[in-house]
Amino acid sequence: MTARGTASRFLQSVLQNGVGRYVCQLKRVSLIFSKNAQSSLGVREFIEDGVVDFAEKNPGIVVYVSPESCRIPKIVAEYLNGNVKTELVTNKTSQQIAELITKMANQSGLDIIRIRKPFHTDSPSIQGQWHPFTNRPPSTKLVGPQGE
Amino acid sequence: MAACRTLVSRGVLTLGLHYQHVCRSVLVIQTREKKRWMKAYTLLMERKRRLEGPPPPIPRSQKPNWDYHTEVEAFSARLKERFSTDLLKTAFVNRCYVLSEEERRRSLGLDAVSTALNLTDNTELQEHGRDFTLGFLTDWCRGSFPSLPEDGVVAIVSHLTGSAVMCHVARDLAVEELAMTAEFPVPDDVLQATFFAVIGALEQSSGSDRAGLFIRDFLVTQLIGKDLFDMWKVVNPMGVLVEELRRRGASPPEPRLLQSSGASTVLPLHFVGLYCDKKLLAHGPGETLSAAEDEAARVALRKLFGYTENRKPFDFSPKPEPETSVQKQAISSR
Repeated sequence: MTARGTASRFLQSVLQNGVGRYVCQLKRVSLIFSKNAQSSLGVREFIEDGVVDFAEKNPGIVVYVSPESCRIPKIVAEYLNGNVKTELVTNKTSQQIAELITKMANQSGLDIIRIRKPFHTDSPSIQGQWHPFTNRPPSTKLVGPQGE
Repeated sequence: MAACRTLVSRGVLTLGLHYQHVCRSVLVIQTREKKRWMKAYTLLMERKRRLEGPPPPIPRSQKPNWDYHTEVEAFSARLKERFSTDLLKTAFVNRCYVLSEEERRRSLGLDAVSTALNLTDNTELQEHGRDFTLGFLTDWCRGSFPSLPEDGVVAIVSHLTGSAVMCHVARDLAVEELAMTAEFPVPDDVLQATFFAVIGALEQSSGSDRAGLFIRDFLVTQLIGKDLFDMWKVVNPMGVLVEELRRRGASPPEPRLLQSSGASTVLPLHFVGLYCDKKLLAHGPGETLSAAEDEAARVALRKLFGYTENRKPFDFSPKPEPETSVQKQAISSR
């Protein structure tokens, strides 16, 4: 598919984040895993090793650990702007899961689609929009209805 | 035929199969084969969804994984503020929620003693937060734009504390899912009032300095990229300009046509300049002469009030931490 056909957006932040103070945009993360399935081994290890450290380091993120009987363990991340992202962590190691969850905490929750330019400004032109008199010296003669 | 049916039913019993009603007109025989009933069922469900529309949204608190106390504590930690938890919880309880909850308990047949809810609603906090926010924003506007008249200040403050901006900020700070309301989705006016109550709770728990910083960081940042006359609807800018110039003791503005092009085409363009004491105050474009004059008056007003696009950006830098007593001692002992 061509670049024009894919979804795209401008570079932006939620609620001018970082202008005043930085607010971590991840509000809630749920680890859904099975207590005995082989595919959840890494998640169980992560829950033993790293999840308490992660929760202590990020007091603004609520971490839920929910054991269910499932074959495919998941990490469900909910962001402040209402977006919910689900990542499947089948057969991932504890280290990989720690990296993944840190990455999710650093994201803004906006859709991950093509960004049109790596910069954005609300006022793209410094000298103003072009008009027929841009860079033209003011006329000395009479102008408009009187001059015709 | 009857024999055949009994055979089938006996077969069903012996094989441990059973009939199951998935929905009307679809009878399911559970077998470990290709599920041929699935197509009818899926189509029926799809048609039902098409007729009824999407299901109503469910509040987050009714979905799995929800712990209210932790969520409230995380809310204050996320914003890097020290809320008193009780005050913050009170701020989220709306009057309409208390009423509807009491009504619900009464309809369930509970007596008056057990239906009494030990909840205080946020009416007081709302009032407090609203007064504080309006006062702070008015002071801030007067400080940042000393030459802006009172009408303009009121317009900016009412834009920032209006339903649209407040609800946008409150939704992106996850106030909506913590707010306890009678209805869901939360109506705009209730959400706005809840956000005022949160500000009031912050003011009461950590002082007006922190609450002012909170308002500056989350509400005033919404002014970035906003034009003055988007917020302040001025019908007659020329009249306001004349008034402003008279207040400053200058002569009234004189409009002069500076440039004009394509007057008889579908895309005419006129540039009108405003002169005050034979000095060019401002000039602006327009399709007609009167539109150009209005635009020039707006440009002049922006210049006079110090709200031009190329003004110095607002200062949003974090306040320096006040020196703690230990540091002070260390400095004094040197």
